[in-house]
Amino acid sequence: MNRSVLFIAAASCVLAGRARATELPSLWAERVKCTVAVEYVTETELERRPSVAYGTVVDSNGTIILPSAAIDLRISPGQMKDFKVYVPGDPDGTPAQYLGRDAYTGWHFVKASPSILGRLVPVTAFAGAGAPAEVALADEVWGIGLRNKDEDFTPYILQSHVALLQQLPQLTAIAQQEVAGPGLPVFDRQGRFVGLGASSFGQTFLEFSGMERGGAPIMLVNLEESSAFLVAGEVLPYIGRIPRNAFGRPLAWLGAYGLEPMDREVAAFLRLESQSGAVVSEVLEGSPAEKAGLKARDIILGVDGKPLPRFKPDRVVVDYLDRLIAARAPGDALSLSVLRGSERIELKATLAEEPRLVREAGRRYFEKIGFTAREFVYGDAVARHAATAALVGVVAHLVKPNSPADIAGLRPDDWIKEIDGSEVKDFASAVDKLTAIEKDPQRAETVFLVSRGSDTAVLRIKLR
Amino acid sequence: MGALAAPARASMSGGFNRLLDSVVRIDVRELNFEDGERRIDASIGSGVILSQDGLILTNAHVAGPRAVEINATMSNLERVGAKLVGWDHWTDLALLRINLDETRRRGLVFKHAEFGDSDKLYIGQIVYAVGTPHGLTRTVTRGIISNNNRYFEDTEGVDGYETGNFNTWLQTDAAINPGNSGGPLVTEDGRIVGITSRAYLGANNLGFAIPSAIARRVVADLVRDGSVTRSYVGIVFKALQDLEGFYAVATNTGALVDSVESGSPAAAAGVRAGDVILTINDKNVDGRFPEQLPPIQNLIASQPVGTPLVVTYKRGSAESSVTLVTTKLESRMGEEWVSDTWGVGLRKVSPAFARENQLQDDTGVLVIGVQRGFPADIAGLARGDIITKINESPVNSLDVVRAVDSAYAARPGPTLFEIQRERRVSLVVLKP
Repeated sequence: MNRSVLFIAAASCVLAGRARATELPSLWAERVKCTVAVEYVTETELERRPSVAYGTVVDSNGTIILPSAAIDLRISPGQMKDFKVYVPGDPDGTPAQYLGRDAYTGWHFVKASPSILGRLVPVTAFAGAGAPAEVALADEVWGIGLRNKDEDFTPYILQSHVALLQQLPQLTAIAQQEVAGPGLPVFDRQGRFVGLGASSFGQTFLEFSGMERGGAPIMLVNLEESSAFLVAGEVLPYIGRIPRNAFGRPLAWLGAYGLEPMDREVAAFLRLESQSGAVVSEVLEGSPAEKAGLKARDIILGVDGKPLPRFKPDRVVVDYLDRLIAARAPGDALSLSVLRGSERIELKATLAEEPRLVREAGRRYFEKIGFTAREFVYGDAVARHAATAALVGVVAHLVKPNSPADIAGLRPDDWIKEIDGSEVKDFASAVDKLTAIEKDPQRAETVFLVSRGSDTAVLRIKLR
Repeated sequence: MGALAAPARASMSGGFNRLLDSVVRIDVRELNFEDGERRIDASIGSGVILSQDGLILTNAHVAGPRAVEINATMSNLERVGAKLVGWDHWTDLALLRINLDETRRRGLVFKHAEFGDSDKLYIGQIVYAVGTPHGLTRTVTRGIISNNNRYFEDTEGVDGYETGNFNTWLQTDAAINPGNSGGPLVTEDGRIVGITSRAYLGANNLGFAIPSAIARRVVADLVRDGSVTRSYVGIVFKALQDLEGFYAVATNTGALVDSVESGSPAAAAGVRAGDVILTINDKNVDGRFPEQLPPIQNLIASQPVGTPLVVTYKRGSAESSVTLVTTKLESRMGEEWVSDTWGVGLRKVSPAFARENQLQDDTGVLVIGVQRGFPADIAGLARGDIITKINESPVNSLDVVRAVDSAYAARPGPTLFEIQRERRVSLVVLKP
């Protein structure tokens, strides 16, 4: 009796499996249309450097999302040129537009040219109606990978099973093997969209060299394929968060600097076993956190009346807090429960617009002197333990090798406070002054006073 | 045979033979906490006996306060114990004293060497280095004075202690190898003109020695006080070379202020980077070339602590004058200690360290080593962390840590540490 039931169950499995397997190539061929490769060029004073990332089409207007890691946040949007979208398998790209980065999801948004809209299908077409599809342990999943540019970004298929589901803090599925390119979609056997390839996790390998007996552990990260993906429920609700500008403004800001997770041992010591927390290293000058009365070394235990949940590993709580803030807008309230010494304190902050970021700062290259002057912004003052009320001087953003500035000893990140003996008030006046110096053919030298760590240096830059 | 009197040859000179008899090999065993445990390191250097009461001059990087055992091997190959009298890492000199009870008991006799005048050395003059290169006792090498006024600054020269700011150095092509350190550089008559202290590794015959003129003064201070006290105002100078036009000062006038250390007397008096110092106590200052900067630093340093210095300086077109009251020059290196229970080597944060690292104040102790598998390692402490609080009490001194450590050793239990890494503050629990 038991035996025959088992037999029937097994037979039906085989049939179902075979039926799906025959469908897969056609499901795959259809779904490849929601994937693209995006190429852009980072143009600095000294070089043009192309980069490639993979993206997923999220709507019928040709909006494409790229994962956070696709673009280095230190690059200013003004330096990113020549965006191009490549349909997989097609050697020719079409121009595209960079729309900006969304702080909450971290995604970069790109808009494809209308001329290729007919060749793209948004991933939502495979999401089905109703709630986003869920995945469970051991579910079979498959995804898409794209080869390199020299192979015309030829698409291919990856298949695996869900091995683990983890809150990081977004619900993330980890498959047994690589299941999609980072930024490319993952589907179940029915072809429903179940998630988006995340940055892959490092894997530790042992490296053996001829001289060494034991292997040395090294960690490798696969940049082309990932075994981790954000589940559909962490993707579909947010694909409409198209930034209004390249910088992703408005950006909600609290100003609690250097959040460090409270680990389990510390929680037990403080008799807070059931929850997690984050230590505030510094409270930034003039920030909403400061106005709310938050102090350095306070431990944040809860937000809006809810205790911070426990995560594995502990440090995920910092991302969780950052996302709670990024989900809001300047002007929104944020209630904090903090532990100060042995005292529990409730604070209410009103989030503000984040001060100008380094990638938003003005910059100008001076060819003759051989360096780029960059506007000194709030974050520069924080990094240098300087007062943030008056932002004076400019930063040496780039120093051209063997240029007069380099020979005189100017280094990247030097804070230029005086030029030719007079104080640099702001970026505009520095640009005026440096432009005048470069235009004057009689000029033999210029003298900078720079601040570097706890020291200063007087640099004589010979121009002739 | 010619009638010309041959110059005294080293091999024949009585002075030189006497010098050979006064050079010693120095074996040092010193404590090192940089692995988070009481590790003993052994090293070999050279030294020269200066007096019949057993004073030996050597380098600060050969023997310093971390030494737990010092032995001197004399020219008769007899080995005797020695103790540190004092050291001065700024000039890389240390003074030891032979255990005279031991030499008397064993009936050992030794000779001592005499100083020569390093100010009279000329470039090209023949000199000899005597020492223990690579443990080869009583090795004599010969060369010339390659440069008698070499400037270099090495802010972490002696095991993390500052060196080289108050004197220029003799450069010689006499072969100097590891182990020569602390041995004498002598003229043909066997008189000490320098203490060999370093060489460029991987270069050919670029050796350096501290001039005897400096050494004599340092020895006098070390004999009297066990240390050299220097005055500090907090000005870092830069050679004015080629900037006279920009600052509109006459050539060979003034020294440029490159940096003013925060919290220093100069900072308090309003001296700023870019000022040109013209006179110090009515003495004209000439810092045109880097080689001229150590004497200026030394002029300030050699004043008694608390001396008012009247400093005139030029800023823009205006000349002004301020009075700086000197304070005592302190090293960035604080007191060190190791906790055997937690497996962590610690060093007190000094005001100079706090200033260099832009810390708010000198609260805390710096982790200089962690022993694997011990509570500090398991809790995640790492070299470079600063422990600012233990069990919620600020760590103002190593005594605070020692007290908690003793209590922990007697009754081990979870202990809460607040640590600062770069600028990030976190909490960790150390437990048995």
